[in-house]
Amino acid sequence: MNPFVLASLAIIAAFPTAATAQQPTHNVQGAVRQVDVRGRALEVTTGVGMALRVVRLQVPADVRVTAAGAAVPLSQLAPGDIVRVSYGGRPGGYLAYTIERVGRIATGLEVAP
Amino acid sequence: MTRCGALVLVGLAIAGGCRRPPQPGDPLPGLTAAERARFDSGRVAFDSVFTPGTGLGPLFNADACGECHEEPVAGGAGDETERHATAFHAVPPAGARPCDELVALGGPVFQQRVTPALRAAVGIDSEPVPPQVTAIATRTSPDVFGFGLLDAVPDSAILVRADPDDRDGDGISGRPNRFFDGRIGRFGRKALVPTLREFNEGAFPTEQGVTNPAAPDEGTFGDRPFPAGTDPTPEPELSREAVDLADFFVRLLAPPAPQRLSRAARPGRELFVRVGCDGCHVPALQTGDSPVAALRYRDVAAYTDLLLHDMGPELADICFANATPSEFRTEPLMGVRLMARFLHDGRATTLEQAIEMHAGEAARSRDRFRTLTAEERAAVVAFLKTL
Repeated sequence: MNPFVLASLAIIAAFPTAATAQQPTHNVQGAVRQVDVRGRALEVTTGVGMALRVVRLQVPADVRVTAAGAAVPLSQLAPGDIVRVSYGGRPGGYLAYTIERVGRIATGLEVAP
Repeated sequence: MTRCGALVLVGLAIAGGCRRPPQPGDPLPGLTAAERARFDSGRVAFDSVFTPGTGLGPLFNADACGECHEEPVAGGAGDETERHATAFHAVPPAGARPCDELVALGGPVFQQRVTPALRAAVGIDSEPVPPQVTAIATRTSPDVFGFGLLDAVPDSAILVRADPDDRDGDGISGRPNRFFDGRIGRFGRKALVPTLREFNEGAFPTEQGVTNPAAPDEGTFGDRPFPAGTDPTPEPELSREAVDLADFFVRLLAPPAPQRLSRAARPGRELFVRVGCDGCHVPALQTGDSPVAALRYRDVAAYTDLLLHDMGPELADICFANATPSEFRTEPLMGVRLMARFLHDGRATTLEQAIEMHAGEAARSRDRFRTLTAEERAAVVAFLKTL
């Protein structure tokens, strides 16, 4: 391969995609409170001790939602699912980067973290 | 034996025999000098009084940990109560869990005091409770003695006693609650919070409106952000070091040592087991590994299984995660002799009343207690007053 092309590919690879080029990535693991499939929005309950909070996320169509390693549609998420989400800030709210279902609040984690 | 040897033995016996058992507010026995110094510094952090200028509010229940945990000493119980509210729907609306902790509306803890700046801005004296609630609960302030030992009990010791489907047929079907991330909970009347550290970190913003690095969000006033100028202190309002100290103090508070059984109380211990109280109020739990030697592999006379149990409709109030309104964590009985009121909301003013108010999974034990003679019932109560 042409060294110039190789260098260009390396540079492209070094930069994040549009989604991950947002603000610093945060991670949260919490319980799904609400799913709005049509509006591509997700609310996750989390917090520290009794200081609880709800993280409201927009979920772009290209965001990968997984469960047990397999891709699932957003509509497969339900209130009470425990999800691990990476997300970032943007003007007007938070944007999900990845969403992984890891259990149900009624039964706990499917796999210990 | 030489005279010198005999003196040494007598000295050791006296030293061992005269070791003063932990009193309320004492640290766990066996701390290193460094741990003891940190415990003492932590007491100062625990007693720190906040003002709006140092982070208090805008919404709060108390201006110091020690305002509510004060009797008979720092870390003890208090006569203050607070308001928790949630919405529970046994048949949940589409797309919702049965329990809504009303987090997006300011819940589940609705603070009862406001700073002068918030009062001036919005004209309220407490956080409004939204109309969506289905129950408002009163919560007393328990003592926190021995909580570090409860924290050090491994999850496996909790799970081994869970029997959610009552397969052993004893009428008791304890189950663990879980925090929103799936971990097993143990702290709080509904066993929501997994660790003492998190309970303490969350208490600063919830009870005092004081943010810290672990809980840096001031939250909302109902579902609205606080008006400009009502929260003048930059977040986080408390340093990690200060939280560390307060946490260390609480973690190392010793449970009050059970008192020697009097003649009246002695049969009460056996009757406590015979009527089945120990089915949930498990007399002893064992801690696991811990970086603090005084917490490591210890027996703790906790008198709890840290599980949720259905206590019947009369006691029911709010929900929390998996806990339904009628489910409560078995209240630890260590230090119960120091309490002036009993049950989660303090509705019982005597231990006998508290026993009488047990229902649900505890109904069998309560009924057996009722069949005891007056003298036997008094013995059970006398035994409890030694804990």
